[in-house]
Amino acid sequence: MIKKTLTSCIYCGCGCGMYLISDGNKLIGTQPSENHPVTKGSLCVKGWNAHEFGNKKSRLTHPLIKENGKFRKASWDEAYKLIADKFQTAQKKHGNDSVAFFSSAKTSNEENYLMMKLSRAVFKTNNVDHCARLCHASTVAGLAATFGSGAMTNSIEEFERADCFFIIGSDTSSQHPLIGSRIINSVKNRGAKLLLMDPRKIHLSQMATVHAQHKNGTDVALLNGLMHIIIREGLEDKKFIEDRTENYNELKELVKDYNPQYVSKITGVPQEQLIEIAKIYATTRKAMIVYSMGITQHITGTDNVKSCANIAMLTGHVGIECAGVNPLRGQNNVQGACDMGALPVCFTSYQKVTDENVRKKFEKAWGVTNLPAENGLTVTEVVDGLGSGKVQALYIMGENPVVSDPNQNHVIECLEKANFLVVQDIFLTPTAEYADVVLPAASFAEKDGTITSTERRCERMRKAIDAPGEAKPDWQILGEFAKVCGYDKMMYDGPKKIMDEITTVSPHYAGMKYSRLEPFGLSWPCLDDNHPGTTYLHKDKFAKGKGTFMPRPYIEPNELPDEEYNFLLSTGRIYWHFHTRTMSGNTTTLEREAPVPYVEINPADARELGVRNGGKLKVTSRRGTLELIATVTDKVCVKSCFIPFHYIEGPANILTNNAIDPVAKIPELKVCAVKIEKV
Amino acid sequence: MTKKVINKSDISKLLKDANNEYNVYVPMEHIGGDVLFSLLSKENNTLEDDIKRINLSSEKTVNSPKEIFYPQLDTMMEYNDKGEIKETVENSKKLVFGVRPCDFHAIAHQDHFFSKDYEDKYYLSRRDDSLIVVIGCNQPPLPNECFCTSVGTGPFLTEKFDIQLVDLGDYYLVEIGNEKGADFVNKHEKYFSAPFRDEIKHAESTKLEAEENVTLKVNFNKALQIMKTEEIPQDNLERIAERCIECGACVYVCPTCTCFDVFDDMKDGQGVRCRIWDTCVFSGYTKEASGHNPGAKKEYRAARRYEHKLKYDTLESGISGCIGCGRCLHSCPVDIGMSNFIKEITTNQKYH
Repeated sequence: MIKKTLTSCIYCGCGCGMYLISDGNKLIGTQPSENHPVTKGSLCVKGWNAHEFGNKKSRLTHPLIKENGKFRKASWDEAYKLIADKFQTAQKKHGNDSVAFFSSAKTSNEENYLMMKLSRAVFKTNNVDHCARLCHASTVAGLAATFGSGAMTNSIEEFERADCFFIIGSDTSSQHPLIGSRIINSVKNRGAKLLLMDPRKIHLSQMATVHAQHKNGTDVALLNGLMHIIIREGLEDKKFIEDRTENYNELKELVKDYNPQYVSKITGVPQEQLIEIAKIYATTRKAMIVYSMGITQHITGTDNVKSCANIAMLTGHVGIECAGVNPLRGQNNVQGACDMGALPVCFTSYQKVTDENVRKKFEKAWGVTNLPAENGLTVTEVVDGLGSGKVQALYIMGENPVVSDPNQNHVIECLEKANFLVVQDIFLTPTAEYADVVLPAASFAEKDGTITSTERRCERMRKAIDAPGEAKPDWQILGEFAKVCGYDKMMYDGPKKIMDEITTVSPHYAGMKYSRLEPFGLSWPCLDDNHPGTTYLHKDKFAKGKGTFMPRPYIEPNELPDEEYNFLLSTGRIYWHFHTRTMSGNTTTLEREAPVPYVEINPADARELGVRNGGKLKVTSRRGTLELIATVTDKVCVKSCFIPFHYIEGPANILTNNAIDPVAKIPELKVCAVKIEKV
Repeated sequence: MTKKVINKSDISKLLKDANNEYNVYVPMEHIGGDVLFSLLSKENNTLEDDIKRINLSSEKTVNSPKEIFYPQLDTMMEYNDKGEIKETVENSKKLVFGVRPCDFHAIAHQDHFFSKDYEDKYYLSRRDDSLIVVIGCNQPPLPNECFCTSVGTGPFLTEKFDIQLVDLGDYYLVEIGNEKGADFVNKHEKYFSAPFRDEIKHAESTKLEAEENVTLKVNFNKALQIMKTEEIPQDNLERIAERCIECGACVYVCPTCTCFDVFDDMKDGQGVRCRIWDTCVFSGYTKEASGHNPGAKKEYRAARRYEHKLKYDTLESGISGCIGCGRCLHSCPVDIGMSNFIKEITTNQKYH
């Protein structure tokens, strides 16, 4: 029986509406929604092929328990009991904070909510975090400090009408294709200006009004330099600064030193380009900043984000239609996972765990006492904690740190030292190999729920097909596990009931009842049952009242090339794959387009190394070494290289640096030093 | 040609009756108003709801009915390590109701492709026992993208159909094109009556108006001529390549595209072989074993798609591979489309 079910795409943060076609046994196709405001009858290649991976025979179908180094099938009950016993024993011996939970930006809002509820209400620890730590933790910290809200300020539809795109550190057309396409159409059809700041040549470079290839990790200097020029030329928005911001004088003081000559020397961007970018951005009203991992994945990630916020406030380009600061979220529900409080410092709607009133509210709602008051550990700290013994047991839902986290050897060493590891996923991922218990989860197509896309749009995902074998939706697993642990207030009839609970404790989501999310969702803040949702943030007033300028000085990346490690390595995603390839690697067309890991190097360097396109190179950092196929291309600058991080067969993260931003604890995945030799 | 009329209010009854004998595929409204070809439920409790969602007004489905005979992912066979092979052939009796004239041309194109060199049983078994009821387009479903009149594929068919409906307000004029169509109408004769002369006249004028309503015009014949004799200017291809984000939509939604890739999925001695829609606009499509790739450049791949549609198909079968449905432009996130391409090569103006 052929059935078509509207759901939300599992890949990036665009939140596309798509129909999954099922024949009753498996998924046989995907079609875009015509009327969905983002999708409008289009999808990217990953979306068009989203039906395939879930069918694979290698899906996890039974709980597994490791015995003598080998997995054996187990019953759910046996698995739950073992996990409960191990976690409770660890806590008895080593204290509540000796266990930790990784939630997942690939699961629903309801599931993220339950994961943090499990951690806080059942295990009384704030050690709950998820992969936003590796992508937009610095956004959450930086924008909350400056604006009061760490999310995209505009909606995706506004990209169709903006007149200037200030893109820094985002390969938009490749990573957020249906946002990138709006930029391309605006530039090509309407003559919108495209100011691109990226060390690499990307697809958008071809049509950029200006493409400044600043050196990796010099973003703060670049942004300070642009602000210097804007102030020098008198292009700042004096009224906006006066009426809506604070701390301007401190900014003015700091950027004084960042004259074009000095900034050009640091960033490698010609002075004329700096001036052109500053002038175009400052003088175009509907100008939006678009950024992604190029800004956030640095030890200065939070500083970078604050500097983006600074320049937007300086020019008054925020709080109006088609102008703002737009961090593009890379996972379908990474916005939601943050909103749901799958973070070590806050409950839902960013309500702080250190606030006693907030804790009391949740204690009442959950029927518990003594919710933990101290901030918990982050993803990066938990991994370290496994190594040091501070963390004894870890429960991972839908994350794959062996491939996604920096310094892979270190991660593996820590996972091996872990006393007890649980992994809940749809496939036996490289991380699951290290687990003591593996739990089979339903895929996005096999369950109901909601996700919140990058434009803060909370929308439905709907079940199109049954999960294979004994696999269950994450929300059900978490509820049943909590019950085995002695807490029965996490058993629900379905995600709708969970969302009902979320709306009562989360101001942003107060009006997000399922009945109101039909057909295509609402964007937060949605404060009550009649609130229409919010297309753009900070109209008339910032979320925190006055916007705060937070001037930051330029600080060098943690590890720069030297004589021995003389290349700069940057890592990232490519168009054809997604993250750790759990899904895209099980999709024929995507895997065919990009089957093997590679390193991009500049033709000049290739000549010097004596390697041709397709030849083999050995790339070594202070942390590890990799052999990879060379892709010779002028996309990367001389003495720079780029490696996609998707492949366990050639894991870029064996090389990357786990130095972290002191505020957001995000690792510096975008810069480290390597040496390259011909094999 | 035999003509009948049917009241619109009888359509749901007709389809309910037909549902006993056929798997009925019909454009149905989904959440948010999306109209997609969907299978009528066989369960009484959900059938009524399905019937209410039928939408035969001038909405175009994002995908053509191609997927009914040629699914995006199709299981070809199951096998095991004992050497047993079970082919999965789907051969249900189908009624595809509400197919647009351009899409009907595409089905004819696919019928030809899947039987010309060898008999593709996966396609033909699905297609063999199917009846297609076409509904003409009084208004172009995609007003900015449809260009059937330039190609000669619509807004109404003149021949070769089983049944064609002409929307005349409260009722349809039913044109019966062949014996298969006549059998169906006879079997359900209680819903059909003989037309009055006025109704036939009304249908004629409706068709003429419908022609006028298709406002997007391209010089299709000139394009075919140019493609036959000239190279596509490099500049055109470069501009297309610069926009293209390689989503593959132009191929996935194209009612005449037929390329597929084959993969096996095996575990514990059990295997399944499937085919999936492939797209020539991706570089891996032409990657050779040596690693060399004649299609490495995007502009080359764009050229190949247009050449296939407008040159090779025409040379091979006399029928172009483009049916003027406008879907490639409609589903392209960056406004690349066949009509824009044709306008560019025939007028020397820039549309991309």
